[in-house]
Amino acid sequence: MTTMTSTRRSFSRQTILLIWSTLLAVTVGIAFLIPLWWTFVNSLRPGSETFSYLNPLQWQTFFTTTPTLDNYAALLDSDLGRAILNSLFVSVVTVIVGLIVCATAAFGLSAFRFRGQAALFSVVILSFLIPFDAIAIPLAAMFRDWQLQNTFLGLILPGIGNGMAIFLLRTFFLAIPEELVEAGRLDGLGWWGIFTRIYLPLSRPALIGAGLMLFLFQWQAYVWPLLMGTDEGHILGPVALSNMQGQFQVDYGVLFAASMVLVLIPLAIILGFQRYFIQSVSTTGLK
Amino acid sequence: MAGVALLFLLPALVALLLLRLAPAGVALVDSLSRTTLLGGTSFVGLGNYLELFANADFQNSLAVTLLFAVIINPLQIAAAFLLAILFTRRAAGSKFWRSMVILPIAVPPAVSAVVWSVIYRPDGLANGFLAVIGIPPQPFLTSPYQALLSIMILLSWIGVGYWMMFLIAGLNDIPASYYEAASLDGASWWRQTWSITLPLLRRPLAFVLVADTVSNFLVFAPVQILTKGGPNGSTNLLMHDLYTRAYTFGDINKAQAEVVILVLITVVIVAAQFRLLKTEDQS
Repeated sequence: MTTMTSTRRSFSRQTILLIWSTLLAVTVGIAFLIPLWWTFVNSLRPGSETFSYLNPLQWQTFFTTTPTLDNYAALLDSDLGRAILNSLFVSVVTVIVGLIVCATAAFGLSAFRFRGQAALFSVVILSFLIPFDAIAIPLAAMFRDWQLQNTFLGLILPGIGNGMAIFLLRTFFLAIPEELVEAGRLDGLGWWGIFTRIYLPLSRPALIGAGLMLFLFQWQAYVWPLLMGTDEGHILGPVALSNMQGQFQVDYGVLFAASMVLVLIPLAIILGFQRYFIQSVSTTGLK
Repeated sequence: MAGVALLFLLPALVALLLLRLAPAGVALVDSLSRTTLLGGTSFVGLGNYLELFANADFQNSLAVTLLFAVIINPLQIAAAFLLAILFTRRAAGSKFWRSMVILPIAVPPAVSAVVWSVIYRPDGLANGFLAVIGIPPQPFLTSPYQALLSIMILLSWIGVGYWMMFLIAGLNDIPASYYEAASLDGASWWRQTWSITLPLLRRPLAFVLVADTVSNFLVFAPVQILTKGGPNGSTNLLMHDLYTRAYTFGDINKAQAEVVILVLITVVIVAAQFRLLKTEDQS
């Protein structure tokens, strides 16, 4: 009898705990979602209505019964749309070229054993000790001397040599058994063949993780594109958006639509490759 | 074989040397000299640094950056830790609500600054919420007392979910049997957190502490977009100070000295991380 009441009591205590943690989880989740949700809802209504439902707050603040895609359509033939396409181009080229550069480097650091290897690896480590934004201004001065200002080359170059991506790929490559390499050699494969026929196909998860890292670096960049791409043809999404915010007459609907696009593209990629994203994040933590 | 390996390494090494290490070197060299209006360059040793440290604007910027670091880093880590605990507890739909917290990771810093500039407007969403609980409208970005705090809130919105992910990974690595044993011994929740969770979470916590600190030293987009360092220099963090020094005032040599200082600060912090994680492996 006594044991029964005590189990019942501990059961109800657990239920109460579950309810409290659920309530807390829901509140925190919604609190974090609100800024983005509000942005999303406002991207679906005319810019003139952005501030209509804020004082006092009401259900229309966070919902709209008459959603319209006009703001997104307006984006298509605006400078902002062009800037987002520029961002996409820069990021995609960075991922492709960057993966080639980083994967070959990781291969050089893991498939061979030679003197000076440790020294070269420490160059890689040293390069990611220095955060890119911190050296953006001296680098911009160099790029100006080389006439790379307002060129896609100038925007893309800093993204391709990513010490962290090399580190991630190297860790993965080191786990590939030597016997495979030896077998490949016996079959007459050259080093390039071993790299492209054995290492790359086996490393898809790591390549995706590194690719995500390269993509997000470019997509989220602000300091560098602000220094390097200022003319109409080379301005990137985040910079164009911030320029618009400073203008006297702002169409908030279009502003929010552009914000949503700039958020949804990386979000879709992160969600699609969630597994690899978490893997690349945990490698960043040198777990 | 070393030759072949070098061929594979060459593109990345050139990129890293040219695009990461060389600019740091250029900054160091430039910071030690001064260019006159006539175009002549002379070596001044530590002159730029001495003048910088005597400059009231730079002193203010350094003080603001330190104040900012001292407040935001512990706050973000504490928040990330508490949220990590909350979202690893049993709760209905825990994974779903957790993803709401992680969502802002996808928002580029410049985009979040633009969105929050609208939220922080006098007639914006933030004041709408304050009105609900009966607080009069706040100036947020235009008040020297609130601007830095407003930027901290916006940065925490982006950052806390990211740091939380590392801590959740760490929490999931702790064997459940430890807690079961502790519960059998009658240890309270506080006691379990203190004696099991915190010690076993030291490694991810150390990483988060260092990485968060470094990233907060480099904050730029929100300052440049929202406050331009104002009002009264109250949000003039180092990255913004050196940017305006280089491009608004055109004092490139002192700006380079500031770059060197910033790089030194971050290198020291990251080096501390490597030490922290290494000594732990040995013990």
